[in-house]
Amino acid sequence: MEEKDRKKHRKKHSGPKADKKRKRHLNDLGLGDDEDARKRNPKAFAVQSAVRMARTFHRTQDLKTKKHHIPVVDRTPLEPPPVVVVVVGPPKVGKSTLIKCLIRNFTRQKLIEIRGPVTIVSGKRRRLTIIECGCDINTMIDLAKIADLVLMLIDASFGFEMETFEFLNICQVHGFPKIMGVLTHLDSFKNNKQLKKTKKRLKHRFWTEVYPGAKLFYLSGMVHGEYQKQEIHNLGRFISVMKFRPLTWQTSHPYVLADRMEDLTNPEDVRVNPKCDRKVSIYGYLRGAYLKNQSQIHMPGVGDFTVSDVSFLPDPCALPEQQKKRSLNEKDKLIYAPLSGVGGVVYDKDAVYIDLGGSHEEVRPNRELVQSLISTHSTIDVKMASSKVSLFMDSKPLGSEDVENQEFVMPKEEKQIDLKTGRVRRKAVFEEENDNGASGEEEGQDEEMSEDEMDGSEDGDGDDEGESDKEVPGQDLGLRSAKRVKREETTEEAGMELPAFADSDDDLEMSSGEEGETDLDESKEEVEDHGDEEESDEKESSDSDSESSSRQISKLTPCELGREDKEQRENHNLDHRLGKKVVPTTDSGNCTAEEASDSEAEGSSLEEEEEEGLNDDSEAEESDRKGIQSAPEKNVDGVEWAESKVVEDEDGGDDIENLLKEEEEYGEENDLSADTAGALKWKEDLTQKAAEAFLRQHQSAPNLRKLVYGTVAEDADEEDDAHEELGGLFHVSRPDKESKQKANALDCSKFPVETPQDWDLDEVMNSIRDCFVTGKWEADKDAAKLLKEDEELYGDFEDLETGAVHKGKPAAEGDEEEDKEGKEPKAEEEKNKRMDKKRKLKAMFDAEYDEGDATYFDDLKEEMQKQAQLNRAEFEDQDDESRVQYEGFRPGMYVRIEIENIPCEFVLNFDPHYPIILGGLGNSEGNVGYVQLRLKKHRWYKKILKTRDPIIFSLGWRRFQTIPMYYIEDHNGRHRLLKYSPQHMHCGATFWGPITPQGTGFLAIQSVSGTTPDFRIAATGVVLDLDKSITVVKKLKLTGFPFKIYKNTSFIKGMFNSPLEVAKFEGAAIRTVSGIRGQIKKALRKPEGAFRATFEDKLLMSDIVFMRTWYPVSIPAFYNPVTSLLKPAGEKDTWTGMKTTGQLRHELGIRLKQNKDSLYKPIVREKKHFNKLHIPKALQKALPFKNKPKNHEKKAKPTKDQWRPAVIREPHEKKISALLTALGTVHSYKIKKAKLNHRQHLKDYLKRKHKEEEEKFKRQKEAKKKLFRIMGQKEKKRQKSSLKGSREREK
Amino acid sequence: MASQPHSLSYVGCNFLRQRLVLSTLSGRPVKIRKIRAKEENPGLRDFEASFIRLIDKVTNGSRIEINQTGTTLYYQPGLLYGGVLEHDCSPHRSIGYYLESLLCLAPFMKHPLKIVLRGVTNDQVDPSVDVLKATALPLLKKFGIDGEGFELKITRRGMPPKGGGEVTFACPVRKVLQPIQSTDPGKIKRIRGTAYSVRVSPQIANRIVDSARSILNKFIPDIYIYTDHMKGTSSGKSPGFGLSLVAETTNGTFLGAELASNPQGQGTAVLPEELGLNCAKLLLEEIYRGGCVDSTNQSLVLLLMTLGQQDVSKVLLGPLSPYTIEFLRHLRSFFQIMFKIETKPSHEELQGGEKVLMTCVGIGFSNLSKTIK
Repeated sequence: MEEKDRKKHRKKHSGPKADKKRKRHLNDLGLGDDEDARKRNPKAFAVQSAVRMARTFHRTQDLKTKKHHIPVVDRTPLEPPPVVVVVVGPPKVGKSTLIKCLIRNFTRQKLIEIRGPVTIVSGKRRRLTIIECGCDINTMIDLAKIADLVLMLIDASFGFEMETFEFLNICQVHGFPKIMGVLTHLDSFKNNKQLKKTKKRLKHRFWTEVYPGAKLFYLSGMVHGEYQKQEIHNLGRFISVMKFRPLTWQTSHPYVLADRMEDLTNPEDVRVNPKCDRKVSIYGYLRGAYLKNQSQIHMPGVGDFTVSDVSFLPDPCALPEQQKKRSLNEKDKLIYAPLSGVGGVVYDKDAVYIDLGGSHEEVRPNRELVQSLISTHSTIDVKMASSKVSLFMDSKPLGSEDVENQEFVMPKEEKQIDLKTGRVRRKAVFEEENDNGASGEEEGQDEEMSEDEMDGSEDGDGDDEGESDKEVPGQDLGLRSAKRVKREETTEEAGMELPAFADSDDDLEMSSGEEGETDLDESKEEVEDHGDEEESDEKESSDSDSESSSRQISKLTPCELGREDKEQRENHNLDHRLGKKVVPTTDSGNCTAEEASDSEAEGSSLEEEEEEGLNDDSEAEESDRKGIQSAPEKNVDGVEWAESKVVEDEDGGDDIENLLKEEEEYGEENDLSADTAGALKWKEDLTQKAAEAFLRQHQSAPNLRKLVYGTVAEDADEEDDAHEELGGLFHVSRPDKESKQKANALDCSKFPVETPQDWDLDEVMNSIRDCFVTGKWEADKDAAKLLKEDEELYGDFEDLETGAVHKGKPAAEGDEEEDKEGKEPKAEEEKNKRMDKKRKLKAMFDAEYDEGDATYFDDLKEEMQKQAQLNRAEFEDQDDESRVQYEGFRPGMYVRIEIENIPCEFVLNFDPHYPIILGGLGNSEGNVGYVQLRLKKHRWYKKILKTRDPIIFSLGWRRFQTIPMYYIEDHNGRHRLLKYSPQHMHCGATFWGPITPQGTGFLAIQSVSGTTPDFRIAATGVVLDLDKSITVVKKLKLTGFPFKIYKNTSFIKGMFNSPLEVAKFEGAAIRTVSGIRGQIKKALRKPEGAFRATFEDKLLMSDIVFMRTWYPVSIPAFYNPVTSLLKPAGEKDTWTGMKTTGQLRHELGIRLKQNKDSLYKPIVREKKHFNKLHIPKALQKALPFKNKPKNHEKKAKPTKDQWRPAVIREPHEKKISALLTALGTVHSYKIKKAKLNHRQHLKDYLKRKHKEEEEKFKRQKEAKKKLFRIMGQKEKKRQKSSLKGSREREK
Repeated sequence: MASQPHSLSYVGCNFLRQRLVLSTLSGRPVKIRKIRAKEENPGLRDFEASFIRLIDKVTNGSRIEINQTGTTLYYQPGLLYGGVLEHDCSPHRSIGYYLESLLCLAPFMKHPLKIVLRGVTNDQVDPSVDVLKATALPLLKKFGIDGEGFELKITRRGMPPKGGGEVTFACPVRKVLQPIQSTDPGKIKRIRGTAYSVRVSPQIANRIVDSARSILNKFIPDIYIYTDHMKGTSSGKSPGFGLSLVAETTNGTFLGAELASNPQGQGTAVLPEELGLNCAKLLLEEIYRGGCVDSTNQSLVLLLMTLGQQDVSKVLLGPLSPYTIEFLRHLRSFFQIMFKIETKPSHEELQGGEKVLMTCVGIGFSNLSKTIK
């Protein structure tokens, strides 16, 4: 039974096993693989031709190297920004539906309307920012520049549309991001075969545009208005695993795709002048390169601006924490799209709604929600206030720990944001306080202000915030202006600018008891201030919930502390309030007086160090202010002196001599101070000095930075401001009196030695002994030591030649004896050492054996990788605050960028459907100059381009209209102007516009408004050169006429107007139309502008002489950015700039007045009359007779006697003569005939005669023959007989 | 629109070179006010005017406005042009004054710079051409500025007060610079130097060499000091002598020191032996300061690091000179670049003074002047 059921074994015909079997079989047969064939039949593989082999080798090498790209340093940040996915396609192709489906696929959320970019978390390592691109060519251009991935939707039922190709071409020019085609509307095909055909056709067309094998996705049909789930899922998978290549422009420029925009303008200003320039803040992920504060940016469609402030915010759509699972948690699937109303706030023109959608609310980080809410204060109105309340009510029923946390965080956050981004009223107040606080005066006012502020914020918690808002601005403005003035005075009095937390330093000084009286006074005030502030603090805490403040503090996370720190620096007032809380955690550098003294009492070393750092700084400031030195305690030794000098320099210090004196003073003062007793022994005890120096190094480290860059990192802007002019009205006045001397000091880069050391002393000499190769080396480089190590490594060995046995050091014994308690670490150490050695050996081995493979390319790649590693590692361990200082804001951060002086239309006509992009500009990319391009008219554009017609370029981040001039380069490098761009050829173009790095691609379009059925991209190309002057020339022919001709010299007039002009062109080459070349010699006195010229031949008076000159063309300085985003909503695609003359003429109906000369007329050709050929006499003489003209001399007229009159015959005579002629004719005919006859006869006779002669000759020959034969026979006989006779005779 | 980048404003004539150079490189206009406004002889001096003229020569399209008294200078930079040029430097300052700035600008020209500078080659104020040749050029090579046309040649020596020297400087152009990581200065393996004398007895150079060797020989045996006695037309117009010393380490670091005699008719005469001794001591001071770059070239190396790609560059320096500190501040205001400054104690006791490790991320500068074909 079983046997019957069992299937018969089927032999495998494919798969690895089958292959193996087949191979074995073949081997058995002796028909193995190639290797065997080579062995079996070596002749077939022999080298036939060395040349050919070399060629093939070269070819393979070429192909190999062709595959290489120049390696670049990988600068992608560890946490990259979301990938920008641009969904593009003609209208009604299903873009929004696709986006919605994708969002649903990744986040399980349904978005109703999509406006602006939507950021979602798509996986553990990837986020996506999806944005839809309409058909407006402005949007297409902008988005093509920032796209990482383009989803190109194509309506399969219709086929490709112009938009698709336009977008592809835009992409190509601006660095070709990844492109994925998506075919939609495939369900409209009823016939399967036709569907297949269409798919294939579209696929191949797509491939020719992108690259062969580009991915094309098919979305087959819709189910309930959505695409099929599985297909979308697949598409999502494709997107989330896709790799991107870095694009040059994108990686070298920072850019932000804004997903949120807020107007921060003072509402009062807007009320007074609704058209005033606005101040806006823009939020988004930073991409590309590092962004620096105060750098220049361009907003496509708006213009160029300077970033007035940048700050980074916590990521609103953070990647999930590292987890082991493959898939995402439900709560990690975040979505952030403020413009579409997801992720906190809904945008409307005049109101903000908060979306608290169900379960998602918990997922969102609380702070983010609150913050986004708070930061929208700028557009606040009554509605807003009420909505905010509702939030707090809502947020209460959160989890109990959450409540604690949140309850603490919320008010704090609120305040911060108030200060930072919030209503302008408050912000301004805080800035004032900050400055005032620094000057150490006006405490009372400060309090007023702060209380004011407090009230405000408290009210904000309450219901009637709107009212208080309305009240305050007016008051506030008044106050502020008064204060501004006052501040000016105070700064002038003080004569200097203090660091932001100077008073806290003062406090410190008081605690350490080293400062002068003035300080005491100040700090007393300060203390009072503190008292007041404590009160206010208490008020606040009473407002907050039942939790005691200390408990709250203990719950602060370090990160929050960091944030607090930052805030402190920005807002001094708050600094005090919060600083008090912070200090117990010993985390902050800015201690208030009480804490500082406390900590001193404790004697915690760490804090002391910090204080000293602060002390030094503040004292430096003071010495500057008063010209008295309260010395930095330890500015004594030779190491430190440089820094002390630096102090002086920075704060308006003195000359070198002064400095020397001062130093002595320092020394003296230090003698007095108790804690630097070691300084006394400076000269005697070098080692101790060195030890101290070592200790102090840590303290001096932050100092040095401070000395160089002024106060502290966070206040970096202040100093900058001091250098720059602040809008003309206010200046930050700096200490002038002392700095003046320095400002006009000698500009020299040398660093003179102030206190030369006595190099004859042994100690001094020893101090640099190790700087020389003769000195001691470090352990890892010392040759002797390395040798020794090697010895240890290899242990004992026997020298066979000498028979000596070398023993390895008995290390174990010695160690054991030496220390028993330290044995374990030692063992560990030993192990590490061993591992090190092993690694080293391995590396050496690798190096030796891999050497053959390592090419230049590999080396380069490795180098780049090393650099990338270094880049990553260098600032990794630092916190973001200080990191941002050094690197700038790194890509991947969520940043808030403040920009001032934005045209009001930008805010008024804001339409979230149009993307806002901030593109960072490099150095001098904000300047304008002449840009030279290599340009080619697009092959699909129907017309050719005309020089001097305005055209819109998209270059770099910018879109702008300008007037290009087309030129072509002649063989000698001259740039000759062209009137029109060539049809199928590259040409040059120059225009006046923004300077953009060479090698940047660009495209040109004639107009950005509306849509045309034709292809819109007029030209493409690349930037070649940037310059401040241009070299384009056009040909100019100057003509003149000979008025006097000598042999080869002629006088020419009409070419110039004055002898001066002639002088300019002396020696220039001229030519006649007939081709006689010549040269300008010298100007003639009369007539004006005439000159003498020599030619290679004699001219004719009818000749026209001309000179070819090149005239430089001036390029119109016209640069007009396309400000499409400023147009009212709905008209954003209607931007028109300057019109071409052709357009204007067409619109106004002006006909072109044509030059009469350029009209066509029937050609009338006159009969050409040639002169007689004249040959000079000399030449004639030289000619051979044959060629000599044979014009005989005309015979003289026959004289009268020679002259004979004509004879006129009578009729009779005529008859006679006629008869005679007739007879004569007959006679002559007869004679002719007879002659012919005679000739014939003669011929016959001769023939005959000839024949006879031949006969005769023949006969004679015969006879002769006969005769000779007989003669011959006779002769023979005779000979025979004679021979016989002789023989006989011989015999 | 392309709004002109906001200009920077400074007061006083100090650091004029830095400001103009950085302005040229960053493309930001600069305004300098109150140049010696309160002095008897207000306004720009000859040598500064000459420097401005030089800047004008190497750039194209720059706008320079000076008010009538010369106390205010507005400079709107153009593009660096380069080419074959000649410049007569003012004899008030040595050619080093001009050359230092040219070293900063030369790699970023449109055409390779080849310039003949005439004036004072060695004086007591500025770094001399000899030292720049020995220290700054190898430094530029580390950044990838190298090749055939990279040279600095002294064809004639000129001493103050009259000058008459001539120097040829040629530098190729580069599109981008390489980042550097030089944190280990290495050990000094040799000391080289030039003792020069013009219009004085040729023996003086030998006397200088002997005295300098007497000190340096205590540290290292590999010392060679060339004597360079110029005669005739190549000896300039004033007499003088001097010594420049350069210490080279195993890692290609060059530390220089120099000293020149007092100019004719100013100050007391200097004994050659004394000069040699003092110069040798100066070199020892420089070695004590240490670092991978000597104190004169600190600003140059920091600038080139700033102008690198967006990569981390590191360099170990000796104590920062006042000039460098001001330069760092200027770098921040022109390029928004801040250096990470770490004070490094020297590894052991016997390696000189404390060092400063400077780290920065380049701004991704690329030569906008260079033409591509």
